[in-house]
Amino acid sequence: MSPTRERPRRAARRRLRALLAAGLLAALGGCAHRPPPIQPWQREHLAKRGMRFDMPGETEEDRFRQHWLGSREGSDLGYGEPGGGCGCN
Amino acid sequence: MRRALRSSLAVALGPAVFALWVFALAVLRPVRARADDYVTVRGAYYREPSTRVIQPTVEVERDSPTGWDVKAHYLVDAITSASVSAGTSTDSIFTEMRNEAALTVRKRWDRSEVSVGYKYSTESDYWSHAFGVSASQRFWGDTARVGVSAGFNLDTVGSRVRTPECAKPPSTTCSLDGVFGGLTYTQVLSPVALAQASAEASYLDGFQANLYRMVASYGYEKIPGKRLRNALAARAAYYFPRASLALRLQYRYYFDVSPGDLGAGDPWQIQSHMLEVRAYRPLTRDLSVRLSYRQYLQSKASFWCDVAVDPGCYVGARYYATDPKLGPVHTEYPEVELFWQAESLREVPVLGWLAAGTFQLSYGHYFQNTSFGNAHVLQAGYTLPY
Repeated sequence: MSPTRERPRRAARRRLRALLAAGLLAALGGCAHRPPPIQPWQREHLAKRGMRFDMPGETEEDRFRQHWLGSREGSDLGYGEPGGGCGCN
Repeated sequence: MRRALRSSLAVALGPAVFALWVFALAVLRPVRARADDYVTVRGAYYREPSTRVIQPTVEVERDSPTGWDVKAHYLVDAITSASVSAGTSTDSIFTEMRNEAALTVRKRWDRSEVSVGYKYSTESDYWSHAFGVSASQRFWGDTARVGVSAGFNLDTVGSRVRTPECAKPPSTTCSLDGVFGGLTYTQVLSPVALAQASAEASYLDGFQANLYRMVASYGYEKIPGKRLRNALAARAAYYFPRASLALRLQYRYYFDVSPGDLGAGDPWQIQSHMLEVRAYRPLTRDLSVRLSYRQYLQSKASFWCDVAVDPGCYVGARYYATDPKLGPVHTEYPEVELFWQAESLREVPVLGWLAAGTFQLSYGHYFQNTSFGNAHVLQAGYTLPY
């Protein structure tokens, strides 16, 4: 393998390691600061439609959206389930 | 061996899926109403210049008091397409049906849960089995939640018109296997704010091209067989009590690489940025609106070039494709959606039973810079808690 090709790979690996280390540090930093408790009577707004990431009705709608987006954009994934079954290669 | 597994799955899972449905219906018998039990029926319509998709769906979830929950969905895709829009050399209009069924069983404990799911999709030239497992744990007084998920899929790709080169005789189909893993962290920040961060990766190994699409002077397109897809995403939601307005913001960064080929020689290297904002607001006691806007920017795959602009750009190339979605993509998607709590139907004869549910109606316009052209997207649905 040529050194000119090896160099960008090493740089990419270094960047990836730095990114992972930064993510780990951020996660550990989060653990050090326990957030204040939210009491049940303070959760009224959190139960509202726009504040729920798993609202029934919206998940099906997002699934359909993901289906056609997956066949029109080159970067499927990132929506919580594996691809496949689309047939939209 | 995987091919044998795929074949036996196809034979065995037809009745198995039916049995799972029967099981689901048995579990779903009405015993005691819970807040998260619901049935949703939806119809979706997608129309762009050369493609039309109609998708009816039904989804049911039944949460048992014992902590065992079942969720199932079934959908049909009716796709009518003029294939020249996707880069094929000859145009042909065809209509294809895709059927998909999925079942997820979940066990809940006080602050944790585990789900196991299976999804089967079938059409005339593509079959997919997807298996997944996920687990989550809530902590810090139910203000934080960590979720992990993993899965794999075994797909089979065939062609209606030829035996593809990737097929290993006597088989006439090609395979595409994938494994998937994801990690999600959700944090309630205050009584009106929450945030979520997630990371996902998927490794694909097998045939990833289109069996019908050709590149002029080169033949059927050829795409790298291995791909590592990665996505990092962040979501936040904030509620403004005085305005009764919920705002949700999502950003997703995607990058893919060819495993073992990081660096300049990587044939993939697609990167994309997606930003979406959603605003939810009640208009009346029963009617609310959701406005959303999504913007997507994608760089082209490293091996991809535009043969329409530069016909000789693939000379000596190892891979070649005319798939528009592997090129530079810029899309925008504004959408408006109405939710109507059908409470006012309670006194209406015959329709009174719909009063507990919610109707949804949405329209969006999908702007694309690719040869697919812009699209209209219409969805209508009804969710009934029971």
